[in-house]
Amino acid sequence: MRRLLSLLVLTVLWEALAQFGTIDPFYAPAPSEILRVVISLFTEGTILGHLEATFTAALAGLVIGLVLGVFFGFAAALIPFVADVVEPVMMLLNAIPRVILAPLFVIWLGIELPSKIALAVVLVAVLMFFAVYSGIKDVNQLLVDRVRTLGGGRMILLREVYIPSVTAWVLGSLKVAVGFAFTGAVVGEFVAATRGLGYLLQFAQSTYNAALTMGLIFLIMVFVLILFVAAEAIEHWLLRWRPRGAEEKSA
Amino acid sequence: MLRVFDLALGYGEEPVLEGVSLEVPRGKFVSLVGPSGSGKTSILRAITGLLTPHSGRVDLTDGQQSVGFLFQDDALLPWRTVRENVALGLRIRKVSKTTALTEADGWLNRLSLDGFGRRFPHELSGGQRKRAAIAQVLALKPKLLLMDEPFAALDAIVRTRITQELLNWVEREHLSVLLVTHDLEEALTVSDTVYLLSQGPRARVQTSYEVSIPRPRDIFASRRHPSFVPLLERLWNDMSDAMSSPQV
Repeated sequence: MRRLLSLLVLTVLWEALAQFGTIDPFYAPAPSEILRVVISLFTEGTILGHLEATFTAALAGLVIGLVLGVFFGFAAALIPFVADVVEPVMMLLNAIPRVILAPLFVIWLGIELPSKIALAVVLVAVLMFFAVYSGIKDVNQLLVDRVRTLGGGRMILLREVYIPSVTAWVLGSLKVAVGFAFTGAVVGEFVAATRGLGYLLQFAQSTYNAALTMGLIFLIMVFVLILFVAAEAIEHWLLRWRPRGAEEKSA
Repeated sequence: MLRVFDLALGYGEEPVLEGVSLEVPRGKFVSLVGPSGSGKTSILRAITGLLTPHSGRVDLTDGQQSVGFLFQDDALLPWRTVRENVALGLRIRKVSKTTALTEADGWLNRLSLDGFGRRFPHELSGGQRKRAAIAQVLALKPKLLLMDEPFAALDAIVRTRITQELLNWVEREHLSVLLVTHDLEEALTVSDTVYLLSQGPRARVQTSYEVSIPRPRDIFASRRHPSFVPLLERLWNDMSDAMSSPQV
């Protein structure tokens, strides 16, 4: 409640400073102006096609990246040959700011949806790979021994120990992955696109439209926050076996 | 029930243990004591197959499936409820889910955990988690119980209560037990035979002690038996000597 109140106070202060002319609206339009621009985007229907493009790219990137990252993470952790091949690639990709791959994907896949999805996939997959890979490597050996002494073989260990153990890591990373997926989609659109929120941002920047720029940033923030909260709710429900302190620590 | 012949094992070039032989006859309670690092836990891990010995042999009369292992930490799966944890071994042995959970409920009842079955392990106290871990192992009806300092983390009162309950159970069901413990008094109180390991590396069985306190045993009454104190003193002195003279 206190945090919401602080945000509200800051917004009111910003509005007041803008109304009194203390802040130049060219650089920082009043919040009311930004809100007006955002509302008009929806009432005029301008934004819908762009929203659809960004959401499609982000969600497709999130799902594909999740599947690939989890699959390769498991494979690398359990099969040494796969680790030898995949881990160096993931480490190299992790070492660079992966958004710089955007122009390369445009060259390879064109300026439409596939290049945006590809960037989102790379951002998410690398994150998930390390979450799963580290999760399996760090699995509690005592639990592995426990299941083995109860007679459990490889498949039972996978089902009863490795998968649940890694799920905690994956769900913790899912919240970050949501942001990454949107980053991939928006940055990809910013570099080269014919539609999407990133494309609109590029347009706003080229016309020095600070109100539209901030409005779009605000919109992206809202969408990512909604997905973040949804991911957190899923995490809380699936990980209800965890002690409360562990949940708060991971959040 | 269990025979260990000339076991040598370790985690690198130098063996932690060498030439270890011991026996756990059917229906007998045997303890293994020794200095820290002498390889007591490694012996239990070799018996269960968690560790491959460098040499030697482990003979289990009734096979690997007859062995139950109680770890020092409770090792309950945090993401499973208590009753699911207790039923786990049965489910691994392909017992149907309904039957396994019904069996688990029965064991929770026997171990005074009825009403706690649907909780997760972190919602239980240390003593309750230990009881759940015992139920998890006993649900498989083992004939040989291996215990690696299972009550070390519990407070004195809870520890004594659970030890007495387990002792009653073992005596009633004629289970064979191999207990690893640092507590010399505990070893003598519960055991028929106590093996003392020497200091590692290359630790071996230094001496064995036969405990003639009659059964059924009571934790407190056993310590008042005339043979208890002399035996404890002997064990204490031998272990002190073992700790001050490392194996060459």
